[in-house]
Amino acid sequence: MISCDAFRAQFTAATEDAALLEHVRSCDPCLPVALAIDPEILFRSMGSDNLVPPGGIDAFVGDVMREVRLRSTETAMERRPVSWTRRLAIAATIAIGVLGGAAIYQYETSFTSTPLNIERAALHPTSFMSRPVIENYESETATIVEVPTEGVDDVKVVMVFDESLPADL
Amino acid sequence: MGAELRLMTPTKDPVQPDDRLLVETIRGGDAEAFEQLVRRKTPKVYALCYRIIGNAEDAKDIAQLVFIKLWENLGKYDSAYAFDTWLYRMVTNVAIDFIRNRQSRENAVNSTLRLVRTSTDAEQGVVMQRKEIETVFNEVSSVLSPKQKTIFVMREMEDLPSAEIAKILGCRESTVRNHLFNARKLMQAQLRQRYPEYAQLWRGQ
Repeated sequence: MISCDAFRAQFTAATEDAALLEHVRSCDPCLPVALAIDPEILFRSMGSDNLVPPGGIDAFVGDVMREVRLRSTETAMERRPVSWTRRLAIAATIAIGVLGGAAIYQYETSFTSTPLNIERAALHPTSFMSRPVIENYESETATIVEVPTEGVDDVKVVMVFDESLPADL
Repeated sequence: MGAELRLMTPTKDPVQPDDRLLVETIRGGDAEAFEQLVRRKTPKVYALCYRIIGNAEDAKDIAQLVFIKLWENLGKYDSAYAFDTWLYRMVTNVAIDFIRNRQSRENAVNSTLRLVRTSTDAEQGVVMQRKEIETVFNEVSSVLSPKQKTIFVMREMEDLPSAEIAKILGCRESTVRNHLFNARKLMQAQLRQRYPEYAQLWRGQ
């Protein structure tokens, strides 16, 4: 830094000389002298060379680097590459899951439709009654019981008990 | 003519050859090189943040944010351009955003509070204390828009030429000069109102 004498000898209004500006920004006794010559120097005399963040530069740099390392780790984890075989395996697993789910759904739907058919059939009983299941039956061991009807339109029920017949008939 | 020459001759070289080499090393994955860059640029970045924001703790937070953004965006830096210009652009963008947000918060909390000094304060005479000048600056510059303040700080305290400021802010040099002119005018009016003793010292034109 230049001396006070040199500064006072060289200082002029609207100076852009870096050495003179540096001096006026750090030398308190020369500030009033400079202001008397050039009032514009008032705020220029503040400068910014001596400013240090609270806690000092080391602590500041340490904080920045800690944050940078933390973010780098997070980014590295986010961007971990996935191989094409791994991607294929994931896609196959998803496809199997979807198809399996669809198949199970279809299977369960086919079961639940059966009682519906029965219900529909029960709505039209005449279609079964129009024609008997067994029209003629001849057996020496069988016992045939005919349920008496209550009217002309009533259904005629005949029960056959025959021990020689298979159980699942 | 003298003014033209002054504008064309930068007071300091914004391009440091080492910066580009350092950036290339950092791009290669060297975190220690980044630490070196942070250490090298911290005084300038923090000082600019502090002068624009006017508060040490906020300036520190903003300066740290700038370096983190720098780390994340270093891949976008084109080494054909001066590194400091690119860095200062980042600083001014973040600092201006911060001031705008802070202003809207303050406006929402208290839109009528104004600091006005009493005549007794003014009668105490001019005290040439640097701390006092700083307080005066922080108070009278509060009427400036974030952009005006940023330009004033870069021109008056960082000694950057108007052409360089225009590059940093991505605007024309004439725009920089207009902002500077208006900033000085507004500050002079504030000085007259709040610190008449300083108004006699600083013409602002």
